[in-house]
Parts: sequence; structure tokens; C-alpha cells
Amino acid sequence: MTETIENVQTQANRNEALLSVRDLRVTFQRHGEKPFVAVDGVSFDVRPGETVGLVGESGCGKSVTSLAIMGLLPRRGVKVEGEVDFQGTDLLRQSDDQMRDRRGRDLGMIFQDPLSSLNPVVPIGVQVTEVLERHRGMSRKAATPVAREMLDKVGIPDPERRLKDYPHQLSGGMRQRALIAMALACQPRVLIADEPTTALDVTIQAQILALLKDLVEDTGTALVMITHDLGVVAGLCDRVNVLYGGKIVERGDRHPLFASPRHPYTVGLLGSIPRLDGTRGERLTPIPGSVSDNLPWDSACAFAPRCPNAIEVCREARPELLDDGGGRWLRCHNPVENPLEVTR
Amino acid sequence: MTVSETATTEPSTTGDDVLVDVRGVKVHFPIKKGVIFDKVVGYVYAVDGVDLQIRRGETYGLVGESGCGKSTLGRAILNLETPTEGSVVFDGEDIASLSGERLRRKRKDIQMVFQDPMGSLDPRQSVESLLIEGMKAHGLAKDERSAAKRLRELLSAVGLPAAALKKYPHEFSGGQRQRIGIARALSVDPKLIVADEPVSALDVSVQAQVINLLEDLQEEFGLTYLVVAHDLAVVRHISDRIGVMYLGALVEEAEADDLYAQPLHPYTRALMSAVPVPDPLVEDRRERILLKGDLPSPANPPKGCRFHTRCPWRQETRCDTERPQLRVVEVAGAPESHRVACHWAEQIESGEIQAHEVTATLTEQTASGGEDDFVGPASVTEAL
Repeated sequence: MTETIENVQTQANRNEALLSVRDLRVTFQRHGEKPFVAVDGVSFDVRPGETVGLVGESGCGKSVTSLAIMGLLPRRGVKVEGEVDFQGTDLLRQSDDQMRDRRGRDLGMIFQDPLSSLNPVVPIGVQVTEVLERHRGMSRKAATPVAREMLDKVGIPDPERRLKDYPHQLSGGMRQRALIAMALACQPRVLIADEPTTALDVTIQAQILALLKDLVEDTGTALVMITHDLGVVAGLCDRVNVLYGGKIVERGDRHPLFASPRHPYTVGLLGSIPRLDGTRGERLTPIPGSVSDNLPWDSACAFAPRCPNAIEVCREARPELLDDGGGRWLRCHNPVENPLEVTR
Repeated sequence: MTVSETATTEPSTTGDDVLVDVRGVKVHFPIKKGVIFDKVVGYVYAVDGVDLQIRRGETYGLVGESGCGKSTLGRAILNLETPTEGSVVFDGEDIASLSGERLRRKRKDIQMVFQDPMGSLDPRQSVESLLIEGMKAHGLAKDERSAAKRLRELLSAVGLPAAALKKYPHEFSGGQRQRIGIARALSVDPKLIVADEPVSALDVSVQAQVINLLEDLQEEFGLTYLVVAHDLAVVRHISDRIGVMYLGALVEEAEADDLYAQPLHPYTRALMSAVPVPDPLVEDRRERILLKGDLPSPANPPKGCRFHTRCPWRQETRCDTERPQLRVVEVAGAPESHRVACHWAEQIESGEIQAHEVTATLTEQTASGGEDDFVGPASVTEAL
């Protein structure tokens, strides 16, 4: 890659995207059961130095999207279609060996639960150096100082000693930092973070988010942030994709999206969250029903049964994700015109 | 709402309006080691001296990070944990002194709503059997007809269809399960409900449904709540008064609005600045107080002020030697109900003391992990 970070950032051209997901469709097929489409035609781009958020509630397909990009879904029983373009190669057409080479080197991933993502019987230091040994062909001896530097960079105090520690000897926040250090050891171009702070306390969460923010700014890594927390998105992501039922229902830049959400689901999500700076005693406006009420996307809008804005056409025709001309993409037959009236 | 009620009550702590009076409660869990003989090698100071009063009809929010002892305190109020020291007076009776049949009968008045609705509902019991179990145990289901009527009322109160009675927990979504948990707590007509992280396992859209439900039920049945949660935004939304806990003790206590308008303890300030707000304008502007390092181990809490190891306003004197007590501070605009456990709260508020850099110190993890590992009897339902 020769282009500098700045000139990439200023161009909103698809060709400049580092990672480009096109029409990703993941279907789970179990013998004797109806196939389940977890991710249904998801497309988005991530440019270097940019943070793109995938937001949604459990079951919306955000984690499956990340696993599909990383090639971590099992081959049996799962059908992955579409295209994931990374620097000219389609990751979905790569062999398992090729993907193993890419993971950790080109693509880093941070998972939600650091304890189950770290090997409990191997010291932290070995787990970090392992990445360097595997991808950079370094010896353990040469890799150790690099690993120590990584631990220091992610804010683990006394890294020399921590190298010898086992995961259970670290606190949750420190484990997550160790995991980030591992993901960053080879300076991947793309980092996918799947709910990286959900298992952490808010003060620790603030530390980790600040760390990720600095990282994107300093190294130009492209970050895909997967989370259910709109507060995290508001502070971190440049662009936001809101997912519902396996499809992107709204996409926009951070500021306009939060200032004027247009999809009733996005509006509903924002209305459901008690805000620390809101007026107290005000009632929350939850989204009625639950995900189990969804309609199939083929013939209707899945969100229609829970939608306060639903009209007849919502139950009869599938909405498409369309650009409203101002950089906002919406999948809705009857979007919210004046969102302020709904949220306040 | 009960806001108006509590707002008018005087901040007297010893009136008839106090339902729960917690005095100097400590819960210490022994750490045992040894192959044949268990030797006590230390204690986890999960709750280490807490005073608090919960008034009738109010919602008291207990907030803090994991390991601060908020759940243990909640459980101590139910006598699910026997306090090592101190007393819990509920409705004029000392709960810690009760045992056997008298304690069992008292439990009718204090019910609990748990975090994980799947884990707290027996998967092999139908909803009907789950709900009627407590009523039978307390002699509230006298004849079948009135019991059936009561069950229908309960379900409609929590917004579930009557058809739910014959179903089993796995047939419901997370939000519906939490509704069943709430209905079960309501079934014995309690006075106090202790809700331990009632919404943190739920999706945000469903979370709002359950929060609204809790508010409606309080209004309808005149309930008193103790809500234990880590999410400050949720706690602030539903609570009338909030206590902030850090390492086994309250560091600040105030009316919900006062706490938000003017957090006075350094820890509360840091906690508030760390809570993400779903508004990019706020997020871009706000200044974060980033705490360095982790919560110290409750098995080996720091001397003096528990927070001094991470406090950006720490001073040379007093902080590391003298443990601050909750006190009314002399700060303009802070009412008498606003109490803070910090030696320097006034000077920090006036700007006389400025924040400085803190270097992170290592936190040794105890071999058995966090406080959670020590908590609780083998089975919660057994204890109830």
C-alpha cells in the first residue's frame, strides 16, 4: 500500500476502501431444519484510519458478520456467500491455510470475553510472541522484547513481569489489554473488535476505548467496531451501520445519524436508553415486542410488527437499502420525518 | 411517581418512614487454605462498614463496579449472607437476629429479582408452578379459585398473557423471563424488592420495557426497591436516591438529581465521566477522567481511603492513613442529604486541589479470582 492515510480518508471512493464487504450472506443449515439466514446481504466499506460501527441487538447478525470476514465460521453447515475484498483478494475464496496466514497478520480480531479467548495454561508472553513467531518468523528470543513493548503500549503496568503471568492472574481489563496486544502484534491493517468492552466495568471500558481510539489515529488501522452500545458508537465510530434481523437498516455518519435518526428502529433504540444527562423521571419509550415477532425479509419489512411507523406496504413489500442523497442509507418504506418529535 | 413523596420527606433518618435501616454492616468472607485442615489465611472484605437507610416507597440505587460489594450488600439485607458485623433492621425487626421459621416468614416481605432470568427460574417448572410455589410456602394460596385469580392478576401486572401459565421458562424470550422473575417476586406481596442487575442481561429495547414495568409496579403496589446495578444511567433513571460503592463501602450518597448535577467524590466523578452517552456532540466535548489501573483486591484493601491508590486528587496527608467517613460537605448547592466520604471534597470542588497524574499500580488477583467466587450459598432457591 502506497497511499498515505490522509489522501485515503478524504476520498470516499470504493476503490480506496481497505476492506470491502459486498452482499455478505450467511446461512446456517442444519439437517432436517429450515435454513436460517443470519446475515442477509450486508455490504459496507472500511477505509484506513476509519472506525466503522456495526450496531444492533443480540441476534441481528453483527457477530456472525465478523466471523465470516475472518473466515472463522465452520465450513460444514454454514453457507457464506458474497464477497469480502481485502486489498484485491476475496477473503471468502481463500483456502484455510491462506486465511491462517492472514489472521493475526493482516486481520486482527478482539473478542468479547478475554478469558475464553486466551489459552489458560500458557503465559501471556508466550501467547503474544507466538503471533510474531508464526507470522514474522521471529525466534522466541527476538520476539520477547517486541511482546514486552506491545504490552507496555496497551498500558499493562510492569510488562516484564506480566509476560510470565497466566491469564487467570490478570484482571478483566488487563486480560482485554493482553488480547489487544496479541491482535496488534503484527500491526494488522484491519482490526475487528467484537464487543471488546462489554464484559468490562465502565471505568475500564473508558480506558480500552481511549486505547483503541489512539491506535486508529496513530497507525491508520481500519477498525470495525461491533457493539450493542450506542454510547460507545457515539464516541468512537466515524460511520455507523445499524443492523436488524441480519440486514443493515440504516447507515450514516456519526453526527447526522445521532442528530436525526430516520429509521424507526434506530429512533426506538435511542429512545430506549436512559441517558445519564437526560431529564430524570421521563419515561423511556421502549420498542414493543421482541425479535421473535419478526416477519421474513423476503416479503415484508422484518421490523414492521414492532414498528410504530408501520404502514400497509411494510407488510407487503421488502424495503431496499437506499441512499437518500445526503450520505444516509435507509431501508424503510416510511421513515421518521422529524425524529426529534419521537425521541423527546 | 414516588419522586414527589420522597422529595417532601425531611432527611431525618430515624422516622417511621425508614423501611430498611442498615447499620455498620460488614460481610467478610474467609479465604481458606490447606490440604487436610482448612486454615483461614485471610478475609475478603466484600462489605466493610456500610450505613444506609431505605425509606418506604422509594427506590434506592446501589451503584459500583464489579467487586465493590454491592451485590453482597444486597444479599446481606435479605440475610442471604450473614453479616459479620452490624445490623439490618427491616420494618422494625433485626433481620440478622432472626432464624428458622421466623426468618422464613419474614422473607415474604423481602423478595429478590435476579440478573439472569434463565439461571434463576427452574427449567423444569411451569410458570404456574414457579409462581404458586412461594404463595403456598407462605400460605397465600388458600383455595384453588383465588390462587388462579391471583396468578392471572400477576401475569397481567407484568404484561404476560394468561396462556403463559402452562409454559416453561425456555419458551420465553429474555425479557419475558425477567417478567416472570418479577411476577414471582410479587406473588407473595412483598414490601421490599431487591433487584440485582435486573436489566443488564437484556437487550436495550427490552431493557426499557422492564424498567418501565418496574416503575409501574412500584406505583401500583407501593413497593420499595433496592436496585443494585453497575449501569449508572439505568440507576439514575429509576432511583430516587443513589449510593455509590467502592471496595466495600459507600463513597457518596445523594438524591439522584443532586448526584448527577454535582458529583463530589473523585470516584463518582470518574465513574460519571466514563459512562458513554449516545450523543456524539456530548462525547466529543466531554472530558474524561481516566482512572489508571484496576480495582484493588478486596482481600487486601488499601489503608486509609480505599480509593487513594487510583485517585487523581490524592493528597500527601490523610488520604493514605485515615479512612474517610460519609459526611455532609460544605459546598454551595449541596443539600444535607448529599453525603461524601472524602477528606478533600470541598477543596476539590472549589478547585483548590487540582487533579494530577496517577501511575497505575499492579493489582494482584487472588487465586480464586474475584469476589464472586466467594459469594453465596450453594443454591439460591434453597436459601429462599
